[in-house]
Amino acid sequence: MKQELLLLVGVALVWSALAAVYALAPGLGMPGYARVWGAGAAIFLALAATVWIASKNRT
Amino acid sequence: MTVTTAPRPSPDWAARLGGLSPSDRLLFTLMGGLALLTLALGISYGVAMALARSGAIDFLPETPYRVLTVHGMTAFFYWLYSAQATILLVLAAGEKQGGIELRSFAWIGAVLVAAGFAVSELSALTGTPLLYNANPELGQDDPQVVGGMAGGYLLLAAGLVCLSVSAIATTLAAARRGASPGFSALGFGLFAWAGFLIVSAVAAANAFLPNLLWALGYATFPADATTEWHILFHNMHYLPLMATVLAWYAIARALTGTGSITGAAFSKIVFASYLVFVPPTSLYHMFLEPNLPEGVRVAGSLLSLFVSVPTVTAFLIVVASLEAHARANGATGLFGWMRRLPWADPAVANMGVAMLTMLIGLVFAFVLIQEKLAPLLSDTMFVPGYFHFFAVGTITQTFLAAMMVALPVISGRPLWRPAVLSRMPWIVLAGLVLFGAGGIAAGFLGVPRRVVDIGYDGAAPALWRPLMSLVGIGGIAFAAALSVSVYGVARSLLPARKHPAVTREPVRIKAMAPVAAGAAWTGPIAVLVMVAAMYGATIGAFELIQALPVTAAGGGGH
Repeated sequence: MKQELLLLVGVALVWSALAAVYALAPGLGMPGYARVWGAGAAIFLALAATVWIASKNRT
Repeated sequence: MTVTTAPRPSPDWAARLGGLSPSDRLLFTLMGGLALLTLALGISYGVAMALARSGAIDFLPETPYRVLTVHGMTAFFYWLYSAQATILLVLAAGEKQGGIELRSFAWIGAVLVAAGFAVSELSALTGTPLLYNANPELGQDDPQVVGGMAGGYLLLAAGLVCLSVSAIATTLAAARRGASPGFSALGFGLFAWAGFLIVSAVAAANAFLPNLLWALGYATFPADATTEWHILFHNMHYLPLMATVLAWYAIARALTGTGSITGAAFSKIVFASYLVFVPPTSLYHMFLEPNLPEGVRVAGSLLSLFVSVPTVTAFLIVVASLEAHARANGATGLFGWMRRLPWADPAVANMGVAMLTMLIGLVFAFVLIQEKLAPLLSDTMFVPGYFHFFAVGTITQTFLAAMMVALPVISGRPLWRPAVLSRMPWIVLAGLVLFGAGGIAAGFLGVPRRVVDIGYDGAAPALWRPLMSLVGIGGIAFAAALSVSVYGVARSLLPARKHPAVTREPVRIKAMAPVAAGAAWTGPIAVLVMVAAMYGATIGAFELIQALPVTAAGGGGH
């Protein structure tokens, strides 16, 4: 499940970067975007962790 | 596009869903029933709206806005999301070829979604019409309805989280079993889709929790409600499209007996790309905000060009897979392979028309999301004119196709009159073309989308009324055909009286043999035609709008 793990971590990284941009650029005036994409990054990181644990338990 | 395929074993839907427990069957039946109920109501409200907009019937002044509110709320929120939850769980169970995991979560989720629907519906039918986004600015004097609609949506969001958790556990369990464990392409797509549903529930909480707290007197007025809505609204665009292509993938797999011709690894990348493209492309929803910084506006314009990349790529994969398998069975001619598809099967007819309407919808979507055109068109009939190609033609018909395949297997009752149901998508398409042509033309001529009485005391342009009549006629046509499809699918909810193991025959192009390299050009040609049409429509839109005496006025929103 290496590919799936990489894809999920990749998604989390992209969302984290976007959340950081919205959080650190107050001129954008859209803190809600940082909250949602940041939470999304955390969720996909958690999903990646779940997949990683599942693959470890299997072997 | 040159492709090579090899046959792989793929159990049909009956085998995949045959191992469901009575409890799972009951859950899926109830969830499917709720989804179809919301669709039937959404269609009824839509018909009333189409009649009012075309001038065929008169309502009391406030009534059309109430109808518009419940139409949008019922169809856009409850139909699209209860259907997604149903299909997600059914496909997840099919991946596992057994019962669903964390069943209690799934049941709690289903109850929460149903409760949310009841609360939202009651609030919208009895309070001030807030439109489907439950806009608190319209309900400043009626906090009860703001709280009711927001509370309903929050229950829906909580329900989706519970259902998604069950789906995640089920797909993960599927990935861990078997001689060569790991996610199938569809399994990974379902896993990612469930995660995206949870994120969208977070977006819903971000949008509606402040409204609920204000309505209950625990917080100040939610001044940022419009911005927070846009985040949720963006996710609500993407999620049903992701669900649609996953359903296409599942149906195509049943048709061909194998997976995608591009391989599972590439399909997984395409499904993941939905999630990569979601956040960066969200900015274009802010184009109507007059205070949006110019840099953000430019960035949003550039990023919006990528908005359909995952959907178009998935379209190419599915079409190429079908074409390659048809050619392997002797199909000839550039488009002759399409005749090999089992069009008499209602699910196939629904999926085919769904793909066609997606291409039409994309052409006009790209006209709308351009920074210079969005302020001119977003508050006009152009918007309902084009998005019904997606919402009805593409997404709803795909969801119905998935239900046509799955529900008969679950209930054991064969699909009602396939010969009738297989013709309905073409009537839907005809209705949509009339509706879309009238609505898009009316939009270009400035007919407002949320003003019902467009007479303006005789000052309105003469063309407005006939164009809106076209909208009404088209709307009635596709609503009628869609209602027949809903009825046909709903019949499959009833358990079979005898032999509950009776299942739907798997739809197949033909028995597959190993396939040599071949050409599959229909998908790329379709995309090229679509891009050319986009250019044509954009140029036409600019020419037309420059010729009209109009001034852009920002504000409002989708």
